[in-house]
Amino acid sequence: MKLSLEGIGHGFLGRPLLEDVSLILNDGEIVSLVGPSGCGKTTLLAIAVGLIDPLRGRVRRLYNRHAMVFQEPRLLPWLSARDNIAYGLVPRGLSRLRCRDVAAAKARAVGLGQMDWNKYPAELSGGMRQRVAIARALAVQPDIMYLDEPFSSLDVGLKRILQDLVVRMAREEGFSGLFVTHDLVEAVRVADRIAVLSSRHRGIVEVRTVPGRPGERDERMVFDLVERWSRDAVFAELFDGEGRCL
Amino acid sequence: MPRLGWLGRYLWGGWASATGIFCLFALWQFGSEVYGGFVLPTPLRTFAEIATIVQGPVFRDVAAQTCMRTFLGFALAAGLGGLAGAVAGYSVAAMRLLKPVVAVILSVPQISWIILVMIWFGATGTTPVITVTVAALPISFAGALEGVATRDRSLDAMARVYGVGPLRRFATITVPHLLSYLFPAWTITAGTAWKVAVMAELLANAGGIGGELATARTMFDIPQVTAWTVIVATFALITDYGILHPLRESLESWRRAGQPRDAAP
Ligand SMILES: Nc1ncnc2c1ncn2[C@@H]1O[C@H](COP(=O)(O)OP(=O)(O)OP(=O)(O)O)[C@@H](O)[C@H]1O
Ligand SMILES: [Mg+2]
Repeated sequence: MKLSLEGIGHGFLGRPLLEDVSLILNDGEIVSLVGPSGCGKTTLLAIAVGLIDPLRGRVRRLYNRHAMVFQEPRLLPWLSARDNIAYGLVPRGLSRLRCRDVAAAKARAVGLGQMDWNKYPAELSGGMRQRVAIARALAVQPDIMYLDEPFSSLDVGLKRILQDLVVRMAREEGFSGLFVTHDLVEAVRVADRIAVLSSRHRGIVEVRTVPGRPGERDERMVFDLVERWSRDAVFAELFDGEGRCL
Repeated sequence: MPRLGWLGRYLWGGWASATGIFCLFALWQFGSEVYGGFVLPTPLRTFAEIATIVQGPVFRDVAAQTCMRTFLGFALAAGLGGLAGAVAGYSVAAMRLLKPVVAVILSVPQISWIILVMIWFGATGTTPVITVTVAALPISFAGALEGVATRDRSLDAMARVYGVGPLRRFATITVPHLLSYLFPAWTITAGTAWKVAVMAELLANAGGIGGELATARTMFDIPQVTAWTVIVATFALITDYGILHPLRESLESWRRAGQPRDAAP
């Protein structure tokens, strides 16, 4: 077990958002957190990663290092792509040379050519920026990677490439993942299990195991499964306009 | 290679500016021909006077004195104002407390400060230093306050996730953003600093270039006055284009990245 959320409750300005939410993340497992907009996915992730202290409940982190990929790349505009990738290594006290080596290796791993390493974020395309953000997360050699709708602004093709990249890296480096998304196709592609968050119930209404292994499912099967599940009452909130707190 | 390109751009920009300055000299020449050399000495007469002053025995000491005072006042203003502004940017309570104080400081005429400080500290070098500090501090304060208040909190959250400590976050996230607010403030401040320092020296009778100007006035030596004026203006320009601009260019080279190639100023 890597992470355990136990009876988490939180809200903003007296308005309850999450009530008694529990979730466990096992070694080497990717769990997708799906739910309609505004149901508290980002909030739950922020609680898990420690950016927000929950009002109730307990977070147990049974690991050393985590990394996070946000919805926006969140790169420092004044650092080159390579220095951005190395940014998470700063607190580690590695030598500058070592940092640069790690950063170069990760840049290569996410498919950034050497000619892009010294560019500033403003000179990179949206997809490249998100690659840099993934490389920055990989560079710290995390035990868990948190991802908050990391690919929602990218086109379908690039989305798939980066989803497969994250799944492959998780397998190779053995990290677990908590992957927030509102896209059921994405969830089915990358996850071992899917946790469904509902705004009506202010919590996780169901955790489903996806058959097969992430990254090894064929597109046909993903398509059929999403097709079937989208008619399921559990996922209804994802697709209809009702029950959304806008 | 990028350094060389930068130098090329800088020199080209300098060439354009020089053209503007020579136009100004032409206008000046015209003015002195209309009104006569006694009221407005010609540029040539002034530069001859400057040459005499620069070769004279007092120039080094007098110029160094004013330089020192301006620099000290500027550094104090930039340091104290920047620090107070940054603190106010982080803390709403401090902002509420400091903003009116700075507003009051800003609205007090500089001449009043000179007189007050003169009374408190006497006709010493302290008067120009403190006057410069007081005149320049609010601008630095406002710049730093604005910079810290508009910092990108989402970057801060990102750094916190990666376990970057508060000092490191300040240095890598807040400061680079802050600089883009402080540099314009400092450019204004530096110009003001020279003028206020000379004014304070003159009124407080505290030597320096202001003291020389006072002497020239009593002797009715107009070329002497224009000469010192040009010298002070040159010092102010050197501070701006010789120090602040290159510093900013080298610290903020990332800003030019991603701009259309031919949009360089
Ligand atoms: N700092 C905050 N202060 C006040 N309210 C907040 C804050 N952060 C989030 N909220 C509120 O909490 C609710 C859930 O926000 P959250 O960002 O967790 O949603 P989400 O599930 O991630 O939605 P999306 O899919 O659109 O990203 C929203 O109604 C939002 O207005
Ligand atoms: Mg969100």
